[in-house]
Amino acid sequence: MKSAWRLGAVGFLFLTMFGILTLQLWRVQVVPAEDFAAQAEALQVRPVYTPAPRGQIVDRAGRQLAGTRPALAAVVDGSLVPETAVDELVSLLAAFTGLSAAEVDEIVMDARDRGDRRVIMSDLPDDKAVYLAEHREEFVGVSVIPVPQRTYPYGNLASGILGYIGRPDPVDIEEGAKPTDILGKAGLEAQYDSELQGTEGQIKFRVDAFRTVLEVMGEDFPDPGNTLILELDIELQAVLENALREGLELARAEYNEEGCDPGHKEDGTEDTGCPVRAVGLVQNVNDGSIVAMASVPNFDPTIFVAGLDQAAFDALPEGALINFAVTGQYAPASTFKALTYVMAMEEAIAPEGASSVEDEILCAGRLARAELGEGSQQVFQNWTRQDDGLQDIHDALMRSCNTYFWEITYALWDQYKNTDQENLLQDWARQVGFGDKTNIDLPTERKGLVPDRELFETWAADKDPRLDPSRLDFASPWFGGDLFQAAVGQGSMLSTPVQLATAYAALVNGGTVWQPRLVDEIRTEDGELVTENPPTVLNVVEDLSASTVRALRNDLRRVVNDPRGTAYSAFEGFGDNLEQVGGKTGTAEVIKRREDDDGNVIQEAVTTALFVGVAPVDNPEWVVVVIVERGGSGGAVAAPTARPVLQHLLDQPVTAVSLGEEAD
Amino acid sequence: MVLTARRTEPVTLLQRERALRPDLGLILSYLALSGLGLVMIYSASAPRLLAEGRSPTELVRRQLLFVVIGIGAFILASLAEHRALRMLTPIVYGVSLATLVAVLVLNDDSVRRWIDIGVFRFQPSEMAKIAVILALAATLARSYDKAMRWQEMAQAIILVLIPAALIFLQPDLGTMLVFAFVAVVMVFSAGTTWRQFAFLGLSAVVASVSLFEVGAIKEYQVSRITAFLDPSADLANTGYNLAQSKIAIGSGGLFGRGLFQGQQTNLSFVPEQSTDFIFTAIGEQLGFVGATVVIALFAVITWRLLVAAANGRDRFSQLIAVGVAAMIVFHAFVNIGMTVRLTPVTGLPLPFLSAGGTAYVAMSVAIGLGHSVWMRRSPVPVDADL
Repeated sequence: MKSAWRLGAVGFLFLTMFGILTLQLWRVQVVPAEDFAAQAEALQVRPVYTPAPRGQIVDRAGRQLAGTRPALAAVVDGSLVPETAVDELVSLLAAFTGLSAAEVDEIVMDARDRGDRRVIMSDLPDDKAVYLAEHREEFVGVSVIPVPQRTYPYGNLASGILGYIGRPDPVDIEEGAKPTDILGKAGLEAQYDSELQGTEGQIKFRVDAFRTVLEVMGEDFPDPGNTLILELDIELQAVLENALREGLELARAEYNEEGCDPGHKEDGTEDTGCPVRAVGLVQNVNDGSIVAMASVPNFDPTIFVAGLDQAAFDALPEGALINFAVTGQYAPASTFKALTYVMAMEEAIAPEGASSVEDEILCAGRLARAELGEGSQQVFQNWTRQDDGLQDIHDALMRSCNTYFWEITYALWDQYKNTDQENLLQDWARQVGFGDKTNIDLPTERKGLVPDRELFETWAADKDPRLDPSRLDFASPWFGGDLFQAAVGQGSMLSTPVQLATAYAALVNGGTVWQPRLVDEIRTEDGELVTENPPTVLNVVEDLSASTVRALRNDLRRVVNDPRGTAYSAFEGFGDNLEQVGGKTGTAEVIKRREDDDGNVIQEAVTTALFVGVAPVDNPEWVVVVIVERGGSGGAVAAPTARPVLQHLLDQPVTAVSLGEEAD
Repeated sequence: MVLTARRTEPVTLLQRERALRPDLGLILSYLALSGLGLVMIYSASAPRLLAEGRSPTELVRRQLLFVVIGIGAFILASLAEHRALRMLTPIVYGVSLATLVAVLVLNDDSVRRWIDIGVFRFQPSEMAKIAVILALAATLARSYDKAMRWQEMAQAIILVLIPAALIFLQPDLGTMLVFAFVAVVMVFSAGTTWRQFAFLGLSAVVASVSLFEVGAIKEYQVSRITAFLDPSADLANTGYNLAQSKIAIGSGGLFGRGLFQGQQTNLSFVPEQSTDFIFTAIGEQLGFVGATVVIALFAVITWRLLVAAANGRDRFSQLIAVGVAAMIVFHAFVNIGMTVRLTPVTGLPLPFLSAGGTAYVAMSVAIGLGHSVWMRRSPVPVDADL
C-alpha cells in the first residue's frame, strides 16, 4: 500500500469503534445488571386477581344474615388479550353475553388498558360456563372463575343494619380501590368492610409481549373475609319490622281512609302529611347490645349485588336506603320527660307553687307566664287542652302533663337563669348521651341536639336559619320559653332513636350509659376469634339514686298499666306480664315549611309519634323505641306499634297492631 | 506491526508456488459467527414458532441453507482472479443498478426493498454494497503512484451517489450510510490529499445543512429521521423496541442467563429478534462475556482484512480488502450500537449472525473477496509489485 499510515489510521478508527461498543456494553450489562433483570421480570409476569368470598354476617344464634354463594363469572383478563385477538373476541363475547358489541368492546379495552380483570358476565348459568370451557381456545383471555355472590337470606330484614355493597366510586378509587373491587357502601357492610373483604387470590401468568399466556407460574388462593357475629336476634327483628310495617299502614289509614303514599319530592307527588316511615330498635339495657333495629320502608340488599339500574333505584321509596335509627333526628317530645323527671327528683326542683315534687298541683290545660319576658313564648298549652286534675310528679309522668313539667322548668329558670346552674337540664341530658354520638358501630350516625344559651348565641352570631330571625332583636336569643320547650323534648331538642334508647337504658339501669353495639365478635371463617367487641361504658351517672330509678320504673309501668296512663289503651289485651311493661309516649309537633304551587311558604304541623318501652320493668333488660314519622300521637300509633315487640320479648303471643287512644 | 506493508523476509520459490494460502483466523472467525448465528436464531425464534404451532426449527433450517450457500459463495469469491474481477466490475455495477431500479419499479408498496423470486426474496441493496466496493476500488486504483486527482474523486463520489439515491427511494437509510462510510474510508485509504478530504467533509456538511434549509427536515426531527426513513422500525414502536432491547441486554449481566434462557428475547418482547436484534439475544443469554467474544470475532475479521490489504498484490485488491473491512465494521458498529442505544435504529443486519438470505450470502461474498486478497497476497513488498 502506498501509505501504510493510512491503513494504520483506518485500523485505529475501527479499533475505536469496537472499543466504544465494548464500553457501552459494559455500562449496560455489568454495571446495573440487577435492575434490568427485575425490569425484565416485571414485564413477563402478569398477576391476575381472584376475588375473595366476602365474610358472613350472622345473628346472635348464628343465623346467616349475609353470606356468599358460589357462582361462576366470565372474566376477561386484559393483560392476556393480544391486540390481534381483540376484534374477534369482542364479536364472540357480544354473541355470548347478549350485550352490544360496543359495551363488550368498552369492557375489553378497559381491561386491556389497565392490564386488569373485568367481569364480562357474572353469575353464569351452568350451560354458559360449560360452553366457555369447551371453547376456551376461541375466547382468548377469557376465563370462567368463581366469583362468589353476596346473598342476604332474609331479604329486607335488617337491611338498614346490614347495608349494601357496590362498586367503588371515584373517591374510593382515589383511596386505592380497584375498579373491579366490591366495597361495602352502607351499614355494617361499610363499617366493617376491611374485615369482610378478605384477601384476594392471585394467579401469576407468564406472558410474552403479545400477552399470550405461556404458563401459569403459581396461584395464591383467596382468603375469605371474617365473620361478624351480631347481637341481633333475627326473630325479634322480624317481629319489629312487621310491627313497624303494620304501624305505618295503620297510621296511613288513619291519615286517609284509602291510605296514602308519601311519594317523591322529585316528581312532585310528595304528600307531606302522609306518614312516611316507622323506625324502631330494641336495645339491651345492661350492655348496650342492639338486638333489633329497623327503619321501614327498607330494601332488599340483594338488588345491589348484580348492580342496580337507575329505574330500580328511583323506584325505591324515599329514604329506604337510610337507617333512620342512627341517622334520623327527631324531637323526643314527651319521652324526654323521663329525663326532666329524673333531673327534678335528683336536683330537688319542685314545680312552681309546690314545695316538693311529691306535692300535687293542678295540671292546667293552659299556662301563661308573662314573667318569661319579652321575646319569649308566654302561653303554653297542655296536650289535653283542659285541666287534668291535681297531680304529683308521678301522675304527671303517667299522664304526660306538660304543665307540671313546665312548672318545674319555670322554677329552674327562675332560680338559675344566667347562673352556672342554668344548664342543669341540658347537663343531665348530655350525661345520658343526648347531644353526642353514641359511637354505635354503624356509619352515618348523627349527634342530635341539646339546645342551650351558648348554642343559640352561636346561631344568632352565625345567623343560622335554625334560629327565628325575630330573636336577633333581643339582647339574648335564649329565653325561658326555649327551656320550657326543651324540658318536654320539643323546640330545638333533637335525638336519634338510638340515643333515645341509650338514654332510657341508662335511666332505668341505674345510671350506666352503655355504648350501643351491633357486633359482638369477629371471627375468621374457621371460627378463630379475631376481635372481641365487649360492651363499653360511655358514662356512669353518679348522681342517680336508686330510689329515683325505682320511682321512674314504677311510673313508666303506670303509663302502660294504669287506666289513666297515656299508653293504657294501646296495651289492652297484651296478655300476661303486662305489669312488667313500662313505657313513655311522646307526640312531637313538627312545623314543616314548604312552598305551595304559588311559591308561598306554608307552615304545616305534622306530628311524630314516639314510644319508648321498657321490659321487664322491675328488672329491666330491654328498651324498645318506636318512632312513626308523621304518624300521629304516641299513644294512638307508636305505643301500639311497640306492643308486638314487647309481647315477643315477654314471651306472649304476638297480636296485630291496632290503634290506641289518642294520647300524648 | 501487522499493519505495516513492508515485508523484509526474502521471497522464496516455495512461497511463490503456494499461490493460494487461506487465512485460518479469518475463516474460523467467519465460521464461528455463522455457527453462533444459527444457534441464536434458533433460540430467538423457536418459542414463537412453537406458539404459532409451527416447527421450532423452521427458521433455523432456512438459515442453514443460506449458510451452506454462503460458504460456497465465500469459497468461490476467495478464489476470484482479480484481473478478471476488475474487468467484470463495470458489469457487476451495472447489473446492480439495474436491480435497484427494478426493485423500485416492480414494487408499489411504500417500502420497496425486495424482489420476490419464488423461493426467497432478493434484496438488491446487499449486492449493491459489493458492487460499490468493487467500483470504488477500480476507480480509485487508477491513480496509483501519484496523488489522487480531483477527477477521480469526483468519479468515486458519483459512483456512490447513484446507487445511494436509488436506495434513498426504497427507502433504506442504513444502507446509504454504509455507502458513505465505506466510500470515505476507501477514499482516505486510496490517498486523498488533505484538501480533497477536507472538501469531502465540507460537501457532506453543506449537503446536510441544505437539507435543513429546504425545510424538509426540522431540527427536532433529527433523531426521528433515522427511524422514519427506515420503516422496518415502525415509528410508534421504535422507542419500545429500543427500551426492550436494552432491558434484555442489561438483564444478561456478566455471564448471561444461559443459552436458550433469554426471557425477554424468547418471549418476543424484543422485536425482530432473529434478524436485526439478534445481538439482543446474545447479550441476554450469553452476557457481557459472550457479547464481547462476538465483538472480538468481528475485530479479528477486520484485523485480518486490514492485514490482507497491507499485503495486497495491487491497489485494486488492497482497496477491496479495506472496503470490505469498512463495510463489516460499520454494520457491526451500527447494529450492536442500536441494541445498546448508542446508534439509531437503521435496520442494518449484523453480518453473519442475523437471519436473512441475501445479506448472509452477500456478506460471505464480500468477506470472500477480502480473503482472496490475502490468498493472492504479494510475496514481496507491494511497492515492487506491478
